[in-house]
Amino acid sequence: MSAPHSSRGSVVRHKGGKLAPLLACVLFTLAAIGIPAFGSAYTIQLATDIVQAIVLAYAWNLLGGYTGYISFGHVSFFGIGAYTMAMLVLHASIPWYIAVFCGGAVAVLVAALVGPIMLRLRGILFALGMLGLARILETLFTDWTYPGGAAGTVLAGTLTPVAVYALMVLIAVTAFATNFFFMRSGFGLDAMSIREDEDAATALGVSTTKVKTIVFAISALFPALAGGLTAWNRSFIDPPSAFDPTIDLLTIVFVLFGGIGSLWGPLVGASFLMLVGELLLVRLPTLKLALYGVIVIAIVLLLPGGIISLVNRAGWLKRKPVLAPPHLPGGADPQTQGQDSKAAGHDERPVLELRNLSVRFGGHVAVDNVSFEVDTGEILCIIGANGAGKTTLFNAIAGAVPLAQGCVRLHGRDITALPLSRRVHLGIARTFQIPRLLVDLTVWENVLLAARHGRQSHRAVEHTAWVIQAVGLEELWLAQAATLSPGRQRELELARVLAAQPDIVLLDEVMAGMTGDERERVRQVIRQLPQLGVRAVICVEHVISAVADLSNRMLVLDFGHKIAHDVPDKVLNDPAVVKAYLGDVA
Amino acid sequence: MTAIQVFVNGILLGGTYVLIAQSLNLIFGVMKVVNLAHGGFIVIAGLFTFWAVNRLGIPPLVALPIVFIGGAILGALLEPLIIEPLMGRGKQSELLSLIVTFGLNYVLTQIALFSFGTDYVSVPYLQQTFNIGGVIISGALLLTGVFAGAITLLLYFGLKYTYVGKSLLAASQSTIGAQSCGINVVRVRAIAFAIGVALAAVAGALLIIVQPMSASSSDNLTILAFVVIALGGLGSYKGATVAAFLLGVVQAAVGYLLGGNIESVLPFVLLILIMLMWPRGIQRST
Repeated sequence: MSAPHSSRGSVVRHKGGKLAPLLACVLFTLAAIGIPAFGSAYTIQLATDIVQAIVLAYAWNLLGGYTGYISFGHVSFFGIGAYTMAMLVLHASIPWYIAVFCGGAVAVLVAALVGPIMLRLRGILFALGMLGLARILETLFTDWTYPGGAAGTVLAGTLTPVAVYALMVLIAVTAFATNFFFMRSGFGLDAMSIREDEDAATALGVSTTKVKTIVFAISALFPALAGGLTAWNRSFIDPPSAFDPTIDLLTIVFVLFGGIGSLWGPLVGASFLMLVGELLLVRLPTLKLALYGVIVIAIVLLLPGGIISLVNRAGWLKRKPVLAPPHLPGGADPQTQGQDSKAAGHDERPVLELRNLSVRFGGHVAVDNVSFEVDTGEILCIIGANGAGKTTLFNAIAGAVPLAQGCVRLHGRDITALPLSRRVHLGIARTFQIPRLLVDLTVWENVLLAARHGRQSHRAVEHTAWVIQAVGLEELWLAQAATLSPGRQRELELARVLAAQPDIVLLDEVMAGMTGDERERVRQVIRQLPQLGVRAVICVEHVISAVADLSNRMLVLDFGHKIAHDVPDKVLNDPAVVKAYLGDVA
Repeated sequence: MTAIQVFVNGILLGGTYVLIAQSLNLIFGVMKVVNLAHGGFIVIAGLFTFWAVNRLGIPPLVALPIVFIGGAILGALLEPLIIEPLMGRGKQSELLSLIVTFGLNYVLTQIALFSFGTDYVSVPYLQQTFNIGGVIISGALLLTGVFAGAITLLLYFGLKYTYVGKSLLAASQSTIGAQSCGINVVRVRAIAFAIGVALAAVAGALLIIVQPMSASSSDNLTILAFVVIALGGLGSYKGATVAAFLLGVVQAAVGYLLGGNIESVLPFVLLILIMLMWPRGIQRST
């Protein structure tokens, strides 16, 4: 539940412009070049360790920070990379630099194969499953004598420290660039939508399994490269060091401390904590790990956004909304935008047609033999007392409940047998009684996510801008969805539905619990829907006065029967309707 | 005869699994928290028992009430501090508490390493074995089995028939519902966590007389316990008991037929398989 903020919401503002990121890049470049040029052997080794920590943190952040899948076993890929490299070098005499890349490729392949299985687990189960995977791999490599077994293998690693450092920096920069891409691209938005609400994301047309698996595979690449390079550099590899669970602890500590899901957090967290750990606690390794444990607890409890959230509060290094132009582009003409493809092939058949539809729950008949049609341009309102069967009828159209008899036709096509997801693709979109917004993302991103489905990027951006203006959210387009008032959240949900350009919109009590002002705004949007490319609107509503002048026709249900279906004036004066609502005026 | 011996060994192994798993089950059942520090508590209590027996000359059975009380106090102090602030946020609570107990596990393990060293140790106790018709039964394993049974029965009947137990069950079903019945849910959760840690400590003190243990055993113990309760259908005490014996027998058989390394990796393989195939536990799915 979001606190009742003012209806204006809070808009994400940026301070410092491009200065802060630029400064960070300059600092990083200076450090990257300065350390090998002037540092001692010890400094270079420490710097290499820090950069490796940054690599692992950024890789983990791709999965944990964007898709929200917390992995307690990402070290699996570190080990796979290291062992692939070692085996290729030892048994196939492949040069180490090629072997390291092969290690990366194998890890990606393993992740792509294992991903669809492991990612079926959600939340804590995924975290524990990954923990198990890492332990399974460790045991496997302990038992398997080919790559060295429990005793490990010595490699003829010949690399200057500077070369290792330079390569690690290269991997780190690539990992950072990937995070940057995720932060700014539609694909990254898809990933973030999974973190926010995976089911809602699926309903908005995101192919969640595909996106998750791709992210998983990419996030497996970097630890594998780092693992191969590190194993070669150390000239030795054995199962306990290749699958060391401490590596996972450290990675998670660094990302959480810096700021999970942020662009700069992993860099800040890994650099800072590695330096602190090295400088203060080099003599007390036991205490160091215990301290990291305490930091994890403290960050989750006290500063869930990490250090970067403190910096953000000052207005620096803030996340930019995905694909958002500097200013909301002017709205194009809805007539051309909305109806371009659909105006063609217009036919006289009703948009939606229900024939003798019945729904039974056990012995109870919730909807009894109801037939009606909805024509192009029509706004139909279904009213009735509590338990009259409104929502059930609604669910039957959407495909959420099985029918006892009857059929549903869309543009004359029988869709009775089609499941919910197919009906969504065919153009039936619905809202829910409780809006399922992606609350941490902005209004812009919520709408863009729905608009992206089946569109090229620039078309999606145009369409998003237009939809936001069409529903009147242009002042709040960069506000975080969680900060919107309930009424505004309804508008945003409508905008999301519209962005998918449906043929029919089903509105489930969108005005429930709204103030008069909010209701008026939503009524305004609904009234516009036919001009925005929507062919027909069906709404279920309790508040008759709110929809009486809105709808072209009204349908009244009473105990599952259709007792009236006509223009509002006639329906509201129908004695049967009055009787159903007010009882017998005897 | 060997088959019977392997079976009996498996049952006795299963008894120790019951011991390890039930406290994790209690904490998950009431709070929906998978306590990743579970193994840490077991290990600390076990190594403390070793230390107390060797340095102070206390018999293991006297150490039991000490670690029980110590565990209860530790649990009662930690819960309000690091778990309670994360409660009441739905799915997010599960994940956040998992991360927090993941961190806590490191703190506990490192404390154990720091205080007791890295060696695998065991307390020799009840070393005599009983030969019943050719089947050899170790006295120590029998003792842990008896304790495991007693704890399970106490938990089962305690939850069903005492006021505190019923409050725990109520709080696990619905926080708001329990609160509106006048149950102090915050206190109930602290009690559940305290009992859970206390029972984990008892498990540690008993486990060290039947198998060697070191500070680094904690992760394996946690996973093992989670496998058992996941197999039993998360939060079911009867299910977990059945699952523990099943796992014990399967593991003993696999170890006998395929060797020790496969035996030790079995819980992890089962963990992933169970979560994928029977996410609600074997008992409820069949």
